[in-house]
Amino acid sequence: MVAAFAIVGLAGTRLKRLEWGGWVAVAFSGAALVVGVLIGAGEMLDPGRYTVVQYTWLHLGPAPGVFPNGVSLVVGTLVDPISALMLLVVTVVGFLVMLYSIGYMHHDRGLPRYYAELSLFLAAMSGLVLANNLLEFFLFWELVGVCSYFLIGFYYEKPSAASAAKEAFLVTRVGDVMFLLGIFLYFSRYALAGPAGLGGWAANGFVFTNGNQPFLASSMGGNSTLLTVAGIMILGGAAGKSAQFPLHVWLPDAMEGPTTVSALIHAATMVAAGVYLLAVTSLFLGFTSLDQLVIVAIGGFTTFFAATMAVVHPDIKRVIAYSTISQLGYMVLAVGAGFAMVGLFHLFTHAFFKALLFLAAGSVIHAVGTQDLFKMGGLRKPMRVTAAAFAIGGLALAGIPPFAGFWSKDDILGSLYSELGTHPAYWPFFLLAFAAVFLTAYYIFRAWFLAFSGDGPRDPTLPHAHEGPWVMQVPLVVLSALAIGSGLLIFWPNFDSLLLNGAGVTGIPPVFGTSDLLLSAASVILAASGIALAWRLWGNGRIFVLAPTSAVAPVRTLLLNRYYFKIGYDWIGTRAVYTVARAADFVDQFVIDGTVHGFERIFAGLSERLRRIQSGLVSDYAAYVVAGLLAVFVLLLLVAPYLIATVGGK
Amino acid sequence: MLPLISIVLATLLAGTVATFLSGTRARWTALATSLAFLAEVAVLFVRYPGWPGYTGAGIPGFAEGESYAWIHLSWLQINYTVGVDGISLVLILLTAILQVATVIYSWGEARRPSAYFGLVLLTCLGCFGVFVALDILLFFLFWEAVLVPMFFLIGFWGGPRRRYAALKFFVYTHVASIVMLVGLLALVFYSGATSFDFSAVDAAARGLTGVVQAFLFLALFFGFGVKFPIVPFHTWLPDAHVEAPTGASVLLAGLLLKLGGYGLIRWAVEVLPSGLHTDQPILFAVAFLSIVWGSVLSLSQRDLKRLVAYSSINHMGIVLLAIALGSSLGLLAAVLLMFAHGIVSGLLFMSAGSVHHTFGTRDIPNLGGITPRTPALSTMIMVGSLASLGLPALISFPAEFTALLATYNGLGYWVFVPLAILVVTAAFYLWMMQRMLFGPEKGVPGDARDLPWHEGVGMGILVAATIVFGILPALLVDVIVSSPVKGFPGT
Repeated sequence: MVAAFAIVGLAGTRLKRLEWGGWVAVAFSGAALVVGVLIGAGEMLDPGRYTVVQYTWLHLGPAPGVFPNGVSLVVGTLVDPISALMLLVVTVVGFLVMLYSIGYMHHDRGLPRYYAELSLFLAAMSGLVLANNLLEFFLFWELVGVCSYFLIGFYYEKPSAASAAKEAFLVTRVGDVMFLLGIFLYFSRYALAGPAGLGGWAANGFVFTNGNQPFLASSMGGNSTLLTVAGIMILGGAAGKSAQFPLHVWLPDAMEGPTTVSALIHAATMVAAGVYLLAVTSLFLGFTSLDQLVIVAIGGFTTFFAATMAVVHPDIKRVIAYSTISQLGYMVLAVGAGFAMVGLFHLFTHAFFKALLFLAAGSVIHAVGTQDLFKMGGLRKPMRVTAAAFAIGGLALAGIPPFAGFWSKDDILGSLYSELGTHPAYWPFFLLAFAAVFLTAYYIFRAWFLAFSGDGPRDPTLPHAHEGPWVMQVPLVVLSALAIGSGLLIFWPNFDSLLLNGAGVTGIPPVFGTSDLLLSAASVILAASGIALAWRLWGNGRIFVLAPTSAVAPVRTLLLNRYYFKIGYDWIGTRAVYTVARAADFVDQFVIDGTVHGFERIFAGLSERLRRIQSGLVSDYAAYVVAGLLAVFVLLLLVAPYLIATVGGK
Repeated sequence: MLPLISIVLATLLAGTVATFLSGTRARWTALATSLAFLAEVAVLFVRYPGWPGYTGAGIPGFAEGESYAWIHLSWLQINYTVGVDGISLVLILLTAILQVATVIYSWGEARRPSAYFGLVLLTCLGCFGVFVALDILLFFLFWEAVLVPMFFLIGFWGGPRRRYAALKFFVYTHVASIVMLVGLLALVFYSGATSFDFSAVDAAARGLTGVVQAFLFLALFFGFGVKFPIVPFHTWLPDAHVEAPTGASVLLAGLLLKLGGYGLIRWAVEVLPSGLHTDQPILFAVAFLSIVWGSVLSLSQRDLKRLVAYSSINHMGIVLLAIALGSSLGLLAAVLLMFAHGIVSGLLFMSAGSVHHTFGTRDIPNLGGITPRTPALSTMIMVGSLASLGLPALISFPAEFTALLATYNGLGYWVFVPLAILVVTAAFYLWMMQRMLFGPEKGVPGDARDLPWHEGVGMGILVAATIVFGILPALLVDVIVSSPVKGFPGT
């Protein structure tokens, strides 16, 4: 439904090439927003599972031992409270970003392409959210990936943008390959082992049904090797999309795309799809305990790891990009520990405050024409709305009550804390995530102070800053309201179990709002001290210069070089693999083909006498070939029958 | 009953002759013939009964069967026997689509157009014949008939090294043909079949011992495999492609490579299932080698056509892997993948040809940032590349997905080899696009124009096929699965 709207929007933007194209796209995303809100509201008031459409995409024939009754791969839309919540995020942020684009992008060339690709992205993202099985999910997953590829490379004349687009596609492709193997593993497992009551698996393919989870828990004991591998593969896919360690490298470079794209795709929606995948898998298929530990480890480590890199970066967009990786790490951590709803709650609030931060950063970039924080300064006065919006987003990100991020992040830490007794192995990752609270508050307010505080820009050549048009300010205001208000969902009694029951998942206790008061206080104090440190070092136009001889200077170099991951991967890609390919090419040309030419020379020596008829004209060769073939034909058609008849007939 | 297949053959034959004779208006004759062919194939599709074990016209498992005595001896019958099943029907559709697209794409061919279009039609006629022939002699005649026009197309209309490439192509495939023919004849005589008909040979071959089947299968595998092409008998392919004119490249990659796959399924896998079973390890090894080798070599290519040619080796390696699995799922995947590769590689070779016409070179490092000047051509290259690297909603995805699923079910974690290679495949296409399409403009002549209308339409047809069958693969799958292979699990 929503997908159809956005596809029509795509056609519309193609038809109307000029400035109206943007408004057509806005109108269609507005229509999608209405549908999204209606579905969302309907699900909140009356939770339940509704399969809106379902039809067989492919029917693969039966194969004994594999699929005794054949397998139908279906496509359909499934609306349940979880997908409705995601749809709400996608359509709200999507609409606001579309609107904002009218102002932000109006200088750029290639706008029909921009709106068409963004509309296609919204369509594919809606499809992903509403997919009712893993294969369909994968289908849309790849489509949002390719939209991301094109939008990162929107300024394709820039070599860095073209390179970043390729990098994003390739790194996520590594994850996608793992995801696909995960699908195969689950697929064969369920198709083969599905008991009578789960005939749905074999007959309907891969539909997310409520029956799967208990089935998994009871008959597999939660510990089969195959399921463990499958879970790791799903994690690989999610890590690629959600830029988790060690597949995190592409997201900061993806900032080469327009800031609107960064806000929508690389902060609020597409990168969250990995978390959504993990959550859905954990709810409907289940992870083994080993998987859970690995997921917790990846998420917890990434949270801290990415935050450290955000601490030193001079580029406003990349600071927020590292922050996105770090926050996605929190969500992965929560899902891994078994709190899918808590992770999704953080996804929900994060989408709003992170889109807000990006759009506010975009507003700054639009005004001053640079992304370098050290050139900015004093923007508080000419850009009051933006400064306030960035501050609200920053407070939400840092986890200061009553802003949205506090409630969701606190819930993650609290629920994880409650698990530490039964899973002591989670301890180090809990501590890393806890420490990241401090770093988060520090780096985001470092950015705020650098950009907005002080008397004026540090680089005097910057143009005089001013606020953008109303189409850019309205989304900032709306998102600010959401960055404050969206966390209050936590006060809805039993909200998570309401959603879970609506989705047909049973047996998961409610955890919303069960956090430890002492822990909450500690995390708020930690965040506040982070802000205070940022103020001390960067506030009021101050610049903190690290002495080159300082003991932490090498650490800063390490962080600025992104722990050398980027260089390492580039080396593997462009040096190691390419060298192997060149070597293979050599073998192909000189060993394999060389052998052929060796034979050729031998035969050429034998046929020295035939040289005389080699005139060197292709037409002559052709004539010989035709003559030879004709002779063979005549022989076969006319002579052979008589010959065989006389000899063989007796 | 209407002898539909003979009518199609007659149409193509008459059209080919007429094209040869119609001088400067040859392209119109060729287009008319191609459209008539496409319409007749559509009729074939509509009439196709599509259920397993169909026995219309007396040939079990085949529709539209026709059989007339040709050469009858007391101990051997050679017939004109033709028929289609789901597998051949899908490949016939591919032939018709590629023929129409190639004729339109080549609309501007100025050098002896009557001969050029006539040879294009003759190639397609031969391919159609191979796909419908159900008699060994008939099959072999059509098989050889494909080589001749392709030899001419490369040899007359080709690039600077056309003589070398044409001869290499001819010698390689001809040697393989002879091995194949010997294999087929040995099959008949060892099994004691009294007819060259497919069903008779098939029935008689059941009595062969395992060892004999294994040896015969190996001979046939070599014969058909060179056409695939399998590593290490593949080096004719990049040379032939680089020198061939665009139209010939399209037919070469789109159709000629499929002859190998089809022949292997029809005359080796179906007839000698226990031979397949014995030789499976060899086939797997060759398939994995082709998959890896083709993909890795694509990474190091500078010439766009060579890049696509090596990626063909990779894709056909996956086809071979799917066939070698010996399961109905694998067979479905193989046929679907052959169709997908035919369409997509056709599109990519057309793009490479247009790049050459427009910029005077296909050397990737010497080109850059062509998109602003030639947006339509860039779009075609992007669609082709994304389809080839397996983007969903485009035709290759359902095919590759099914192939990988079948591989997983047959070989377990070995599936990681083709899966990991998917990353390499994505890498060489994306790298090519980054260097050639994006970045600052480089190597673009001042008078470079975007696609002429006929090249755009020719590619547009293939883009449409890529999208339509990508979204609705069931159109093909339902036809393919209607022809189960005897002796396979799942039939």
